Amino acid sequence: MEQGPIGRDEIFEIVRDRLADILEIEPSTISEGQSFVDDLDADSLALIELVDGLEEELSERTIGFRIDDEDLEDLKTVRDAVDYVHDRAK
Amino acid sequence: MLPPAASAPAAAMPRFRTRCARHVAGTKTASSSTLAEPKLTAKMLPVAVDVMGGDDAPGPILAGAHEAAAAGVPIVLVGPSDLAGQETTDGGELPLIEASEVIGMHDDPAQGVRRKKDSTLVRAAEAVRDGQASAMISAGNTGATMAAALLRMGRIKGVKRPAIATPIPVPGSTPTVLLDAGANAEVQPEWLVQFGLMGAVYARHRFAIEKPRVGLLSIGEEPGKGDTLRKEAYELLAASPNLNFIGNVEGRDVMSTNVDVCVTDGFTGNVVLKTLEGAMKTVITALMEAFAAEDHYKPHAEALMPSLLPLYESLSPDTYGGATLLGVDGVCIIAHGSSSPTAIVNGIGVARAMVDQEMVAEIRDAIDAAAV
Repeated sequence: MEQGPIGRDEIFEIVRDRLADILEIEPSTISEGQSFVDDLDADSLALIELVDGLEEELSERTIGFRIDDEDLEDLKTVRDAVDYVHDRAK
Repeated sequence: MLPPAASAPAAAMPRFRTRCARHVAGTKTASSSTLAEPKLTAKMLPVAVDVMGGDDAPGPILAGAHEAAAAGVPIVLVGPSDLAGQETTDGGELPLIEASEVIGMHDDPAQGVRRKKDSTLVRAAEAVRDGQASAMISAGNTGATMAAALLRMGRIKGVKRPAIATPIPVPGSTPTVLLDAGANAEVQPEWLVQFGLMGAVYARHRFAIEKPRVGLLSIGEEPGKGDTLRKEAYELLAASPNLNFIGNVEGRDVMSTNVDVCVTDGFTGNVVLKTLEGAMKTVITALMEAFAAEDHYKPHAEALMPSLLPLYESLSPDTYGGATLLGVDGVCIIAHGSSSPTAIVNGIGVARAMVDQEMVAEIRDAIDAAAV
């Protein structure tokens, strides 16, 4: 696994690819401005799958990386998730 | 979805300890003495038993695991380190995957799985994912079992939501498969079609029903009966060429020979399941009290026992060994919290049969073919 700081573009790619896998849609159809619920039809279970997958992948590169459950409801859009992860994975 | 290693456990490279390595410490990171044996298939791998799941764990769970092992089923225990060295009846030892945490019956399922990464449930699901076990069984927190299986094994591609399939006993006949029995309180119409497809595969494998009759649980037999969900699901089910859909069924049909697979949402399914369990318990208790009401009833009651005991056994949840979580990429048995050793033995037997019959692969094919 690649080590070192993770750039925002790379985080977007990780989030996008995970999300595409969970929702079974093409990654290219996902953009930062999209809402999880309104645009991507992602429900709470899909978001749990997303954050669990992100924690598993990113904790190997950023020691102690975790997404707090109480923060989940603040993640409304793909951009929210990318910003959140970028902030935590520094 | 989960990373590549999380999918297709049957096809993953088996990473299996040698038989002399009784203590399987850790899972995917403990590879120092792991041997890659390409000839091993999922069918040859042990069933992972969550030793700490259940109201009275680990007592009855361990007893059931030992009994299954004595009957020749390969078992790997998942539990705390002090369980290492469990001797089998033939003088051997049951292997152990070490797990230091337990997700309690009242813990939040998703949080429990995400925070207790060294819990017995998470380690059991990872064992299936990583090719250390062929299947898992737990009598612990139902929601957490589902979450662990979902998050660690992953969903079968195309499956919108896993569902809990529970056999409902039918006197003198094969059981009715009820699903969803509690995994999804709220569902969408197309999910019910997938439940029907998965339930039909399960009924074929589990009860050798060649062409299972699939019914939609509603409040009347006519197509227009029920709420919006039921009406929309009816249309989709009726239009599914791969299903033997017989239309709406009612609550009274669940324990009858009228239907083989009864499809519903998880909220309704769980209410039905618990209602039937409670009703059967009440009836049996009342029957026993009636037999004991007068002394001169006793010989008559005893005369009836040879006929009543097999009936009682056929109605007992222990007989069926628990429910099966369908739609995840591996075999996961959810046993009753109060499971006896017999229930665990039977649950392990079901797990083994589902692996041997490659049920997961057939569900994958059914979902893929239907493209719902």
